[in-house]
Amino acid sequence: MSSIDIAGEPEREGFNIRWGDLAPFIALAVIIILGALINSNFLSANNLLNVVTRSAFIAIIGVGATFVIATGGLDLSVGSMMAFVTGVMILSMNAMAPSLGSWAIVAGAGIALVVGALCGLLNGLIITVGRIEPFIVTLGTMGIFRAFMSDGGSLPIDRSLRDPYRPVYFGDFLGVPYPVLITIVVTLIGAFLLYRTKFGRRTIAVGSNADVARFSGVHVGRVRTMAFVIQGFCVGVAAICYVPRLGAATPTTGQLWELQVITAVVIGGTLLRGGKARVWGTVAGALILEIIANVMVLSDMVSEYLVAAVQGAIIIAMLAHRFTSTR
Amino acid sequence: MSITNTGARIMSAAFVSAALTGAPAMAQDKEFTIAVSIPAATHGWTGGVVYHAEQAEKQIEAAFPNIDVIVSTASSATAQVSSLEDLSATNDLDALVILPFTSEELTGPVDQVASNGTFITVVDRGLSDPSIQDLYVAGDNIAVGANTAKWLVDKLGGEGQIVVLRGIPTVIDDERIQGFTDVIETSEIEILDIQYANWNQDEAFTLMQDYLARYDKIDAVWANDDDMLLGVLEAIDQAGREDVKFALGGNGMKQVIEMVKAGDERTPISTPYPPSMIASAIYMTAAQFAGQAPMRGSFKLDAPLITPENADQFYFPDSPF
Amino acid sequence: MVQPVHSDASNSALTARALFKSYGQIEVLRDITLDIRAGEIHAIIGENGAGKSTLMKVLSGHATPTTGQLYMGGVQVRFADSVQAEAAGIVLVHQEILLAPDLTVAQNLFLGRELSRGPMVDDRAMNRRTAEVLARVGSTARPTDRVGDRPLAQRQLIQIARALLDERKVVILDEPKATLASDEVESLIGIVRNLRDQGVAVLYISHRLEEVEALADRVTVLRDGDMIGTWRSGELDQRQMAEQMVGRKLEMLYPPKRGVATADPVLEVTQLSVDGGKFAGSFSVRPGEVLGIGGMIGAGRTELFEGLMGLRPSHSERIMLNGRSIASPDVGRMMEAGLVYLTEDRKGKGLLLNDRMGANLTLQALDTLNPGMQLDRKGETRALVNAVKEYDIRVRSLGIEVGKLSGGNQQKLLLAKVMMTDPSVVIIDEPTRGIDIGNKGQIYRFIDDLVRAGKACVVISSELPELVGLADRVLVMRGGRFVAELMGDDITEQNVVYAAASSGKDGAGRKVT
Repeated sequence: MSSIDIAGEPEREGFNIRWGDLAPFIALAVIIILGALINSNFLSANNLLNVVTRSAFIAIIGVGATFVIATGGLDLSVGSMMAFVTGVMILSMNAMAPSLGSWAIVAGAGIALVVGALCGLLNGLIITVGRIEPFIVTLGTMGIFRAFMSDGGSLPIDRSLRDPYRPVYFGDFLGVPYPVLITIVVTLIGAFLLYRTKFGRRTIAVGSNADVARFSGVHVGRVRTMAFVIQGFCVGVAAICYVPRLGAATPTTGQLWELQVITAVVIGGTLLRGGKARVWGTVAGALILEIIANVMVLSDMVSEYLVAAVQGAIIIAMLAHRFTSTR
Repeated sequence: MSITNTGARIMSAAFVSAALTGAPAMAQDKEFTIAVSIPAATHGWTGGVVYHAEQAEKQIEAAFPNIDVIVSTASSATAQVSSLEDLSATNDLDALVILPFTSEELTGPVDQVASNGTFITVVDRGLSDPSIQDLYVAGDNIAVGANTAKWLVDKLGGEGQIVVLRGIPTVIDDERIQGFTDVIETSEIEILDIQYANWNQDEAFTLMQDYLARYDKIDAVWANDDDMLLGVLEAIDQAGREDVKFALGGNGMKQVIEMVKAGDERTPISTPYPPSMIASAIYMTAAQFAGQAPMRGSFKLDAPLITPENADQFYFPDSPF
Repeated sequence: MVQPVHSDASNSALTARALFKSYGQIEVLRDITLDIRAGEIHAIIGENGAGKSTLMKVLSGHATPTTGQLYMGGVQVRFADSVQAEAAGIVLVHQEILLAPDLTVAQNLFLGRELSRGPMVDDRAMNRRTAEVLARVGSTARPTDRVGDRPLAQRQLIQIARALLDERKVVILDEPKATLASDEVESLIGIVRNLRDQGVAVLYISHRLEEVEALADRVTVLRDGDMIGTWRSGELDQRQMAEQMVGRKLEMLYPPKRGVATADPVLEVTQLSVDGGKFAGSFSVRPGEVLGIGGMIGAGRTELFEGLMGLRPSHSERIMLNGRSIASPDVGRMMEAGLVYLTEDRKGKGLLLNDRMGANLTLQALDTLNPGMQLDRKGETRALVNAVKEYDIRVRSLGIEVGKLSGGNQQKLLLAKVMMTDPSVVIIDEPTRGIDIGNKGQIYRFIDDLVRAGKACVVISSELPELVGLADRVLVMRGGRFVAELMGDDITEQNVVYAAASSGKDGAGRKVT
């Protein structure tokens, strides 16, 4: 028997694996240090709170996307879904405001979660029952969700709800803004689901090798669908945080967010082909994206015409490193 | 030739009522088709364009049963080219009213339609070759920037520090910024920073937060667009910054005009760049056929300041914009 | 390139002398000396893995020998690749169909060597030449037909036609993978004879002994990379061929057999039909019994049992498992009722190579190990420590990625994985594929222990000694059906090969219906 020398070993191996997983957090730290060197205002409490708070939307949706991508799927519809969910939420809140008063906000939030989850379910069922590529399906639903929101201008919430709802974005608890708290809670739940439950195990298995999962008795379609439902639910949570900020849904709500979300997930260390998921890495990825944009504005290094190009170059550099090092 | 926006409105209103009373009888015997090709409502302003185009369609079709107005929206320049092809293939067009996505890409396709003898009305963005159009109706983007800048120079006493938000890199944005900066440069006012926020309320909010974090003293901010202005105002309110004396936009959005009417101190003015110009263009084109009124030439809508005194004239509560 | 070196070979079209071929440490061909004469049909036979395909590749330039020489007409030749071999007149017709389905027959035949007239492709000339070649192989296809529209067997003929487009000295026919109908087999035999009569040397790879007996002028037998010998037609009958293919004695690798199992069957399958009837059969297995499933590659063994697990579309009259009737099988339901299946495709369908051992071990048994939704991670570590001990998985660290384990350790982990739910019936597909002899012996002992503990085991194996050494009873499959059942002393390699490869009408063992 050769199992005697096993006991002491796992930790060392575990330590080696963790180094790779730390990469996004190291990148985050480096960008924060660079930001501080470029402009002292960067480290001001106000600026940091602003940046962290506004990265909440991408982070929250990104947690859901981590599940979808971990199963080997892709959801291009999240930005449009965001617009759709905020639209439905505002319309229903406005309709309930006269009878329910401020409780309309709570009811509206519930509706946002349900509508989001249903949108995800729709995506998941078309993909698994129809056996169509996620890329194609969500490209389609991207147009469908957006179409419901582009029949006019912006859609503001009822005046009577504006003030009671505003603190959900602008308020804080012991100095921590609510969107940040909500992000932490969502991420904790996400991490629990992914790393500590049977469902999480199966999610990774399906993304890692769907055949192995199938041969091991995992209901692959069910797991994939569930991942999309979680994604939709996260969009609902993000919508709840988003609406109080500007008090309206506009035709540009959620525009191109799908790409930011996917970028954040990939920067965070989740494999785009599935089978490896890093929930906290996704949050770090969302912060990195938001901080890069913030540092760009705070610095004088590039003209306004080149900001987008420089951001793109930084992201490519970061991901190129990731992909070459994992090969 | 230049007429004011209000002038155009009064004229078309007069024309509609005149037509309702007597004129139709002689035009009844021939059917006319007017196609309207506009961008889809992907932004507050284009949302307004769609709304006003649909209103004009209803009114004209009600007043003139022999005129058929077809409104077609497109979400990109390519889609607009395709929809032009579809419109001219399936209908015998007497007139085309078009708000082109881009000048360069649409010039050829519009020329193609014009070669069939169709009457061409171009709105807002000009074509590369102006000889194609019979009628041109546009706002004055340079004036939007310049009039705002003049007001600001006056109110700030010719000095101070301001920040500017740009839209999406296009001719419209370039002209507005050019009109604005040309006037500002004549004063002692310093433009601290100027960045793109893509006519997107969320991005404007984010950018303004960053401006406020970076600059301790900002006397005024010009958002160049009322959609973006709403995001800017949220950011200023959140930061609780009292130093920002003026936050101005442009385009005459409904919510902003309400603020102007209410005498808001921080946003006391706006400048019109009314999406209803599409309605003016459709009425004028219809007049060419039903009213026997020659309607050729260029009409540039002025961009006078909207102030609490005249705000009512620019306020359309039912419009989405 | 052709190098003029004199040799003593006479009228042979192609001569191989002392060929050795190794892949890394593994020798797949040892000291092969063979000559193939113009105007003969020369059959090469051997078990799966005997080295037939490697020999074909070496002779046709698709692989280079590690040592040894090739001669053509007494002149030594060396091929860097198959293009040089084809230029010298040697062509290999592949098992797999390598044709572009959307191109026409003529376009496929001339793919990469289109005839042209000036800058234009000369379709007329190509179609004319194609028609000639098609007629020669007896194909009814027209040059302008789209290949994808032709049935599979027709495509096989088109592929042969493609090989015959140019003048050939040696044609090597690897065994057709597509199942040919009997008239298509006739036409193939016709082509082969036709080629021989034109003076071409035909090398014919097959494991269908009846065909070999009917067709070949000479037969060469390979076994485990060695050349056993060459016989003239008529010197060996089908049974003797099978004996030469198998040859060796049983090693002491296998635990002694248990007595005959008499308990009532734990699993009874009646009229199982998989993939719309392509694979079908009935069988049962008793506690304390190893049921072996034999047959050639492609006989449909894996497909049938995947169908039983609900991994392929299937239906059945009745499946009784531990006294329970299973209406619509799936892996989870079968596992609950006490049946598990260990796949032959360890890396593709068995293990998550990028994941840790613990996650792999428990994947199938998650519901059994964790009653709630939360994972019992301590329990998982305990289970892993136990499995490592029990199945003797040798690793430096428990956190290692499974892809980094050796094949033998992977196989033991996979065995541990399917055993997590303590099943009463285990189906093991190719229990020792690609693992070394030491691990093989261990796995055989696990199987023996299992069965002695009163479980039932079904072993699907292409390794004849394994079947003979392990099984108490053997069912042989051919063409998607069980064709023979062997018991007791009748379980010999010769009998299995004979049942699997011949038409089986006069075979030993009872014919199963």
